[in-house]
Amino acid sequence: MKISCVTTFLMCGNFDNTLAHNLFYVNMETPTQFISRIISNDRISEGFFELSLSWDPRAPVPMPGQFMTVRVGSLAVPLLRRPFAFAGFDADSSSAAIIYQKRGAGTELLAAARPGDELDVIGPLGTPFVIDTDQSKHVIIAGGIGLGPMLFLSSALKSRNIPARFIFGCRNKSLVPDTKMFTDADPQICTDDGSAGFRGTVADYINTNVSLDNSTTIYACGPSPMLTSVNKIAQSSGARCQVSLEAVMACGVGACMGCAVPVVGGGYARVCKEGPVFDGGEVLWERM
Amino acid sequence: MGANVDLSVRIGNGTLANPVGVASGTFGYGGEYEGLVDFSDIGAIYTKAVTLEPRGGNAPPRLVETPSGILNSIGLANVGVEKFISDKLPYLRTLPCAVVVNVAGASEDEYRRVVERLESGCLDSVDTNGSGIFGYEVNVSCPNVHHGGLAFGTDPAQVERLTSSLRELTKRPLIIKLTPNVTDIAVVAKAAEAGGADAVSLINTLVGMVIDVKTRKPVLGAKTGGLSGPAVRPVGVALTCKARRAVSIPIIGMGGISCADDALQYILAGASAVQIGTANFVNPKTAGLVSSGIREYCIGNGISSLKEICGVAVD
Repeated sequence: MKISCVTTFLMCGNFDNTLAHNLFYVNMETPTQFISRIISNDRISEGFFELSLSWDPRAPVPMPGQFMTVRVGSLAVPLLRRPFAFAGFDADSSSAAIIYQKRGAGTELLAAARPGDELDVIGPLGTPFVIDTDQSKHVIIAGGIGLGPMLFLSSALKSRNIPARFIFGCRNKSLVPDTKMFTDADPQICTDDGSAGFRGTVADYINTNVSLDNSTTIYACGPSPMLTSVNKIAQSSGARCQVSLEAVMACGVGACMGCAVPVVGGGYARVCKEGPVFDGGEVLWERM
Repeated sequence: MGANVDLSVRIGNGTLANPVGVASGTFGYGGEYEGLVDFSDIGAIYTKAVTLEPRGGNAPPRLVETPSGILNSIGLANVGVEKFISDKLPYLRTLPCAVVVNVAGASEDEYRRVVERLESGCLDSVDTNGSGIFGYEVNVSCPNVHHGGLAFGTDPAQVERLTSSLRELTKRPLIIKLTPNVTDIAVVAKAAEAGGADAVSLINTLVGMVIDVKTRKPVLGAKTGGLSGPAVRPVGVALTCKARRAVSIPIIGMGGISCADDALQYILAGASAVQIGTANFVNPKTAGLVSSGIREYCIGNGISSLKEICGVAVD
């Protein structure tokens, strides 16, 4: 019941601040395990793939920032389910998308999967991004494999007519995805070697080209060094900052305590449960 | 069809209706899996270890996948006994399965105080019907903490003393969870039996290390961790057999069980019940699938009670 409220908020508008807090209650809705079918699985850049899969209409609707776990194959290697953040969700066709990088046994196997193949899925899991509707400026920052959830967030903002800048950073031109989802986000591309777009990191780009202040919210996902510098920039400018973190996880549901990250004030938070989206100020970056 | 199979297991003064439990540390305090599993398919939930004070756990990374297994160094991260009683136990008591509280400590005194608190804080009489705490599993085998854990579990004299000390505090089933990281598990199992344990459970994880050759450092923050998953199953089966020959109290076998055949290996080696650990991460419904698979095996082979096949491979 709450789910549909929030879906409405993300897709159509009609949102107020009290609902923002409800997001976290919605997130406590129990995830579902089901057998999904692959719709497409295409290479979009060097080593990166976009996979679209059917979403059980009885399962809660995924929101930007949330993730699912997938059992890849049926053998003991690779053993654990793999977590993937949603890159998109289409309610009409009840399908979800992820973007992943081929970088280990699990994703190698996933890259070999074909349309029609089945996947054992659990989701949606974790906390979503909260759209700061009281802020006037929105900046979305994605680094490398952090692209997927930020494209999902970008489309959610677009559908609500909230203008946002989209900044994507990667090592070089070969990693710039060739996909409609990406061009729809109207991205500013940054490459370390300057082979496409701005030469330098996303942090370099923001420092020289984006004015931030306390009416700005930054939403970011990417490698830890990138998030560390983005958070530093946000703090010094007074901008709010939400980050989505990545960690190796076993259960994905908050049981195993394997995906812990250090938080300000001592102790740890679970990326799968309190996260993956955290307020930048919560994370103890120097110990990441 | 129509065949009556008795899968129940007697542990001390309690009876588990279903021999398949979910191992401590892999199922949290139950609620994490709400909606993903039917708890009536599970014989018992062995809770995340409970210590006297809350523990944050070890520095990350805490987890790395290994061939057919995982290596973890969680470090007994848990909410502590008070929060366990106020926040976790009320939910656990609603579950249709038995609840076994896994207890850990850095000293004999800490183990005692946790059990004392649980006995006094929330329980009326011995309750083995699944509506309260069924019993305790005493973790003397965690490889990921500096004090307590393995330090207890590798010393038979300490295991016996701790067991008899906790025995004074409770009439509920008392299960001592043993480590495989010893020269002779039979000696430690005997010590637990001599101390008054109702059962031993084994195996906890095997100490292991993974090194990143790029950074030339151990992958885990704590450097070493505990190995679990399909890779350790033959070790667990062999040690179950060894313990079987040493003690007459029931053995609860675990280590790498992911299907009914795996569980049956443990039972044939002498286990009376089993626990599913790492496989819960692969499929949360594993325990239910294993217990229905065991039932089918019994029906297919004309077995009316698991006691008929317990230990027959090695006796």
